[in-house]
Amino acid sequence: MDRNQISKWLTAPGKMAHKYSLNAVYFCTGCGIIEIPPVITARWDAERFGVIPVATPRQGNLFMITGYVSVKTLKAIIRTYEQMPDPKYTVGFGSCPINGGMYWDSYNTAKHVDKYIPIDGWIAGCMPRPEAVFIGVTHLWTLIDKGMANGYERYRRNYAQYRRNQEMLFGDLGWPPRYPIEDGGSGGGK
Amino acid sequence: MTRTILSIILAPLLAAAVGLLFMGISRKIMARIHWRYGPPLLQPVIDIIRLLTQRGFSHGGMFDLGLVLSLAGAVTVVLFIPFGGWCALCGSGGLLVILYLMLLMPLGIALSGGAGGNPNTSIGISRKLILALGYEVPFLFIVLAVMDHYGTISLARVVELQRESGWALFSWPLCVPGAAYLLILPAVMGTRPFDMAGAPQEISSGPMVEYAGQYLALAHLQHAFAIFVALAMFVNMFLGGAPEPVTFILKMLVVFTGGVLVHASFPRFRVEQAIGYLWRWPTALAFLGLVATVASR
Amino acid sequence: MSDALKKGIETTFRNSSVEAPGKDRVMVSVPPESVPTVLHYLREKGFDHLTMVSCVDRPDDGELEMVYILSSYTNDPRLHVTVKARIRREGGGVETVKGVFPNAEPYEREIHELFGADFPGHGRLIPLFLEREYDIPPFRKDFDSRKYVEETFDSIPAVEGD
Repeated sequence: MDRNQISKWLTAPGKMAHKYSLNAVYFCTGCGIIEIPPVITARWDAERFGVIPVATPRQGNLFMITGYVSVKTLKAIIRTYEQMPDPKYTVGFGSCPINGGMYWDSYNTAKHVDKYIPIDGWIAGCMPRPEAVFIGVTHLWTLIDKGMANGYERYRRNYAQYRRNQEMLFGDLGWPPRYPIEDGGSGGGK
Repeated sequence: MTRTILSIILAPLLAAAVGLLFMGISRKIMARIHWRYGPPLLQPVIDIIRLLTQRGFSHGGMFDLGLVLSLAGAVTVVLFIPFGGWCALCGSGGLLVILYLMLLMPLGIALSGGAGGNPNTSIGISRKLILALGYEVPFLFIVLAVMDHYGTISLARVVELQRESGWALFSWPLCVPGAAYLLILPAVMGTRPFDMAGAPQEISSGPMVEYAGQYLALAHLQHAFAIFVALAMFVNMFLGGAPEPVTFILKMLVVFTGGVLVHASFPRFRVEQAIGYLWRWPTALAFLGLVATVASR
Repeated sequence: MSDALKKGIETTFRNSSVEAPGKDRVMVSVPPESVPTVLHYLREKGFDHLTMVSCVDRPDDGELEMVYILSSYTNDPRLHVTVKARIRREGGGVETVKGVFPNAEPYEREIHELFGADFPGHGRLIPLFLEREYDIPPFRKDFDSRKYVEETFDSIPAVEGD
């Protein structure tokens, strides 16, 4: 057994646990949240996949952006996303986080949410049916297995660009940068 | 000597394993009551493994130490409770030490949550401590009745005496405190209708709102220990303990299933309703049981 | 009922014109100065529920049309009275009706923010939904929302790098 094999064997329980214990932050973004209560209640039971909703972002590792994201909500989403512990996964539900969906020419919704926080996968639909939600969850498992669900790592690496995009949209964000930005830009450290 | 050290190391591990298994069983039974499949039986274990690989955020020294204190209290209590013929530290203290140490669990969470800085934790902590005040009064009467009837403070001796004279739950006068303990068991375990301390919908999980990653793993473990302690005390004091661990776990499982059925059927009380209930019938029953025990000496 | 109402309004308010297109609809067009009085009169007649205050942009006439929809809790619930008033687009306004119906306050705030109409006497015309400044109020028909989206949102670059 070489080092690669041993390290894979040692990180396998962590990967398995990340797959089968996805705690979704119950952040009800837009109109798409109407499809989540059927998913988590008795008929289409999401708990057998290990997906349960939790009340606070500190305990969650799955962030579902269900539905359109107005500019006010985007600020709250960024704050909530930054409060979640690593590793965390984001899934965009419906067509609105992808490119604006039905609100593609609206003056108050953020069109491509991928510019402001990293998104690992999208589930198409308006809104996706619960069966589509489960297919999305199993696709997320495959991505976690292959190590491709690395939105949180991309956020940390390219944080300067994300922060620049957020500041272009909002102006003054009101909180310091989550990770230190090396070019000595605006905001205090931490 | 080595046997003692070995049992001191093994007892908390076994208690954690049993507690986590019972948490999984409770989720499965609740799912079946809801006409759905549930998570796998070892889902709490998967949750804890996942939480241990996440990096949590600390809010200062007291935040960390309070949680460690709570978990330490839970682990220490387990050492004094006989677990089906095995007992790590049964030769000293017994029921009095258990009464003391049981209060470390909510106190530790209260200390840690207080350092969190979130108003939801303050509300949750106040609810948790008020609930502890609520169930400690009948619990004290029950333990006093048991100690008086068997004339000893050692829990192992209580188990031994029940092996000769039959289960305490079905014998006069200890059936009255036993019934009182059954009435306060959901409060001690922290399940519905008494789970207002960690209510997700009302106060964003109360004291656990700021726990992330490894801290939440420790908090889940502490909850597993709390379940184990509440059930093991009941089985030892009123159901005669057991000569070997398997029967012990089976007895705990029977009592736990009753608790889960109550958990699935009841909504959540408010904290003043909980105190109003706990200080009325269970306290009256426990007090009557104590009086009957002293009178029939 | 609607005929009696129509006659009553026409005799009381000289400058109004009333239509009753069906048996459940009465539409009253009044000049903007008499809107609070008309609403007060209708409230005395039993229409005590201000369902909505809305606004329609009519750029060809250069006017905004304020629409007040009233219904009744106590009388026939199917009868709705609509009061319309036309105001100038630039700087026009209607006096606030929150003295007659207190629940008109957020509606008027919204219309001020999204259409630019003024409500003297309201006292609290602060932003309700929007968080940023726009050149012209965004619900007007000559607000080019596609251009606004291109300027504000599409100009933000995607995040590059692996």
